[in-house]
Order: sequence, then structure tokens, then C-alpha cells
Amino acid sequence: MSSLNARLLISVSVLLLFFFGVTIVVLDTAFRSAGEQSREDVLDGHLMALLAAAEPTDQGELAMPADLHDPRLSSIGSGLYAEIRNSAGVVRWSSKSALGHELPFGATAQEGSRLFQKESLSDATPLLTLSLSVQWEFPDGELKPFVFRVAESLDSFNAQVAKFRQQLFGWFAAVALVMLLAISTLLRRMLRPLRQIETEIGAIEEGKRQSLSGQYPTELQGVARNMNLLIDSERARSDRYKATLDNLAHSLKTPLAAMRALLNQGLPKKFSGRFDEQIERMDEIVRYQLRKPATLATKNLVLTQVSVAKEVDRLVDGLRKVYHDKDPVIETAIDDGIQFRGDKGDFLELAGNLLDNACKWCASRVRITIRQALSETGDKSGLVLSVADDGPGIPADAAEALLQRGTRLDESTPGHGIGLAVVKDIAHSYGGQLSIQTSDLGGAEITVTISPATT
Amino acid sequence: MRLLVIEDDATLRESLAERLAEAGFAVEQAADGKEGLYFALEYPIDLAIVDLGLPGMSGLDIIREARQQGKDFPILILTARDRWEDKVDGLDAGADDYVVKPFQPEEVIARVNALLRRSGGWSSSLMTAGPVTLDMSRQDLKVRDESIELTSFEYKIIEYLMIRAGQVISKTELTERLYDQDFERDSNVIEVFIGRLRKKMDPDNSIKPIETLRGRGYRFALDRGPDA
Repeated sequence: MSSLNARLLISVSVLLLFFFGVTIVVLDTAFRSAGEQSREDVLDGHLMALLAAAEPTDQGELAMPADLHDPRLSSIGSGLYAEIRNSAGVVRWSSKSALGHELPFGATAQEGSRLFQKESLSDATPLLTLSLSVQWEFPDGELKPFVFRVAESLDSFNAQVAKFRQQLFGWFAAVALVMLLAISTLLRRMLRPLRQIETEIGAIEEGKRQSLSGQYPTELQGVARNMNLLIDSERARSDRYKATLDNLAHSLKTPLAAMRALLNQGLPKKFSGRFDEQIERMDEIVRYQLRKPATLATKNLVLTQVSVAKEVDRLVDGLRKVYHDKDPVIETAIDDGIQFRGDKGDFLELAGNLLDNACKWCASRVRITIRQALSETGDKSGLVLSVADDGPGIPADAAEALLQRGTRLDESTPGHGIGLAVVKDIAHSYGGQLSIQTSDLGGAEITVTISPATT
Repeated sequence: MRLLVIEDDATLRESLAERLAEAGFAVEQAADGKEGLYFALEYPIDLAIVDLGLPGMSGLDIIREARQQGKDFPILILTARDRWEDKVDGLDAGADDYVVKPFQPEEVIARVNALLRRSGGWSSSLMTAGPVTLDMSRQDLKVRDESIELTSFEYKIIEYLMIRAGQVISKTELTERLYDQDFERDSNVIEVFIGRLRKKMDPDNSIKPIETLRGRGYRFALDRGPDA
């Protein structure tokens, strides 16, 4: 469960379910008990009416008039039943409606008190019964016990309850749905700034943005500000790192150059040659160590989009000047709008070293091709850069050796020298690969493949 | 040829200047960017050697400013930062070539010669015009495949004229560009040297390599390229 949105929605749904469940149970219980209470009152009314209608006969029995207070008692199977039993439990009278039905005769109420019971007819119709034991005083002064009993079918009541429940569930489900929709819309709105931060950080990592925008709610402004501070300090650190290397290079190499210029003045040739060798060694160490890729571990925050075509044009213009006398034909084939996601200096180092080597070794032709590398997901930040020439080429075993070797200084091949080692280092630092083939121009073709970022 | 060396490190600047002077160049030195730009804009310069890491004003700014002001002499940059970003910036700003520190002085001299030759429109390191051939790297002048013995000043004059073959060069320009210090030298000296050169290169007056244009100066008159 990684998304805040999903977490909140699930928690809210569980809470809603619990709250609505409890509410439904409470309402249902209240509705039922209120309904039962009113049923009991109605039954009590019927019982009272029956008591009032009963007339003692001379035979010591109770007689009921043909017309009773509720016509349902006279209609067969109406759902309202009544009977009178004597003390032995024998039915002395029963309403017409009970014709064909044997009313269940459960526990008898204590004399003078009412007893409500839930029972069922022989055909399983649920009933609510009310029985009352009375001592009937006959005109001759004799007291005879009778049990009056009224029963009403609960079918209609149960149907009412079921209907109520149905409505209850229906409404609550609708309300819950509306609430969830409202909450998820609300969440989306509330989480929009977070999503914006996410998008903007993505853009920074792709080099499309320099910093987070300031348009955030108060709670997030601190985060955004600190994020920007972090990015700025990383940029500053990266710049400082480059500046330090530059200064170091300058302050080490100028004295070395001065030493060289001084060498031939007054020293015998055999000494100056040896000194020169040492200067050469120091220079190589300095050059190699100081030309490490410019980007650091936190490079994602400081990358920019480098316009490949523009930088290659500058390089080619520069190299045309440098190789003015040789005047090689330099062809460029670069995909439209292609961008290198990284440090501009790193890109110039990759393309510059490869082009310089090609110009150095070619007979007359050099070709640089840069294509977009597409990943399976369609991310377009990778590229394939290859530089071909029509020079002597690099024999397969030498190429193998060049690629296999570590980048230790003393192992770099003369001629391709540090340049290729630097290209390899930079390619690796961008997760790329270097390969050497024979080009269709006849010479070497060196290809750097930088796959789309996997971070 | 008058060169300008802009480099803040005194030892390097002075020893480089010395080597260049030994190679026959007149050398101006500047120790910081502002002074360098002043020399570049105000002095008669044939080529400038500019260090990119300078105090006061960066090498790049000097190059841009000089180019903006219409100076088209070749510029060679010295850079300690062996990064393509810096080289490309320099070349983009208007420099013509670069040398990475620590360089061999011979390397610088070779690049300087190549740039000077290029600035005169020569693409090969051997400049050939009719029977005359000049090899700048050896400071060797041949006429009909025979080396001619020249004094260093005679060589400087024929080199200057030949690089700019076809152009009219005034006596003043020659004095300015070829004497190391004193611009005020008598321009009659130039006439004397031209006379000697003619005698050495063309004793029987048959090829007439140097033409005198009265009141305007001299011109190396032979067509570029070997004889048909």
C-alpha cells in the first residue's frame, strides 16, 4: 500500500462501513421494538373489546355476539384470531376467522395478567398472541376461570420490517457511495500539491526544471524550500568540485609547462630528456586524475538537458580549425531534437575525445552518428553515439584489450591514450557501454551506448 | 613576425618568450588579461598566444573582445584544463588552435608557424611559389632546389613577404613586425636587406621574386604553387 490516496480511501471505507453497520443495527432494532409495542397495544385493544362483548349464559358459559367489533374476526383466514378456553384448556369459543386453524396453546398467563407470546400456526405463519386469564363472575355469583386469547399474524408486520430494512440499506448504500466519491475527490484535491512535487522532482531529474516552484500550501512550503536548498547546494557542490579541479589543473600544469620551457636552457641533452620524461609522467597523472566525470553521486539533482546537435556543431567547428591543414570531411547524422540528459562537460568530453581521435587517425573522412535509444517503456533519455573514420582502424585483439582493461594509466594505449579511457569512464558513470568495431568507412568505429535511465 | 604572449605565470611566460625569440619572433609579453587586451588591440600583432586562466580578465573574454574589435590575427590558446568544454569554448570564442599545458616549446613554435602560414592562405607546410620553396619548420629557403644562405633578418623578411604572397607590404609594416624593440629604425635598412635578398635569390635577375611598388612597399610577386 504505497499510495497515500489508497491508504486514506481504505481507512475511510472501513470507518464508514463500521459506522453505517452500527447505525443500521440500532435503527432496525428500534424500528422493530416500536412496531412490536404498537402491535401489542392493538392486541390489547382487541382483548378488551372481546371482554366487553362476552355475555355469560345460563349454562355457565360465555357467549359471543355474531357481530364482533372487528370484521376481520368473522372473515376466515384474515390473520386476526380469537378464542376462549375454559380452565381445562378446552376451546369454548373461537372466532370464525380461526376456522380450520388450531391456535397454539402455549403457556397460560397467571390469573389477571397478560402474556404476550410469539408462536406460529400449523402452517408456520408467525403469530403474536396475547392471553389473559380471568375469573368471570356469573349472575349467580359463581366465579369461573376462562382464558381469553387473541392472536394476530405477523406476516404484514414482518413484511413492513423487511421493507424498512430494504429502504434503510438502500439509502445508506447510496449515502456511503456519495460520501466515498466526495472523499476521494477531496483527497485528490488535497494531495494535488504532493503530486505536483512528485512531478516537479521528476522534471528536475530529467533536467527539464531547475528547482521546485513556490506554489505550495503552507504545510509543504518548508519541504519545497528545503528541497530547493538541497538542489542548490548540490549544484554549488558540483560547480565547486569542477572549479577546484580546474584550479588544481591550472596551478599544477603551469609550473610543469614552465619547467619544460626552461629545460633546454643550459642542460645537457641527456638530462633534459630524463627530466622531460618525469614531467610527462606527472602530467599524465594530473590529466587522468583531474578528468574524472564531473558528476557526483547525487547527479540526478544536477543534470540538465544538453542539446546534442548544438554541442556537436561547436565541436566540429572547433576541430575544423584545429585540423585545418588535414581538412577532414566531417559528416554529422544526428536525430532531430535529441537531448543528452547529463552534464554538458561530460557530453563534450565523450564526443570531443572520440572526434579528436577520429580526426587524428582518419585519412580524410570522419562521421559522427547520434541516435535516440528507446527503452521498452518509451523513455527517451538514452542515446547511441558512434564515431567512424577511414583510418587504419583498431585490430580486433587490440580493441578487445582496450575494452577489457581497467582504466589504469600505464595501460592506456598510446595514440588513443587517455582520451578513450576518459570516454569509457564517463560512459560507465552514465550506465553506458563502449564498443569498438570496424566502420563501413574502413577505419575504426567507436560506439557509446547510454541506455535510458533505470533509476 | 610579432607575437603576443599573454600568460600570468612569469617563469613560463618569460621562458616561452625566450624560446620564441630564439626561433626568430619578435615577442610582446603581457602578464594579465587587461594588459593583454591592450596589447592585442593597440600593437601590430601577427599572432597571439593566450592563456585561458588569467587574472583580471579571462582569456576567453580577451579573444571575444579582440575578435569583436575586428582583429583577425591567429590566436593560439594555452589551457591547463584539458577538457573539451574549455577547448570548444575557446575555439568558439575565436581562437584557432589550442595547446595543452605542459607543452613542449617546440610544439608551440610548430603551431605558431602553422597558424601564421594558414593566415596567409597556405595550407601545406611547404610554401612553394614557382621555383622558390620555403620550409618554415626548418627556416630553409630553396630556389630551384638549392638552399640559400640567409641571415636571420633576411629570412624574417622573405618569410613575411612569402606568407603574404601577392599582398603589398609597406616598409613601415615590415619594420614594425620584424624588429624586436625599436620601431623607429631607419626604413632605409629594409631597402638594403631587400636588395641583398634579391641578389641571393635571383643573382641573374631572371625570376624577380620581390617586386617594388614605389611609395607603397614590396610584394612577393611569384604565383603560389609549383611551376607548371
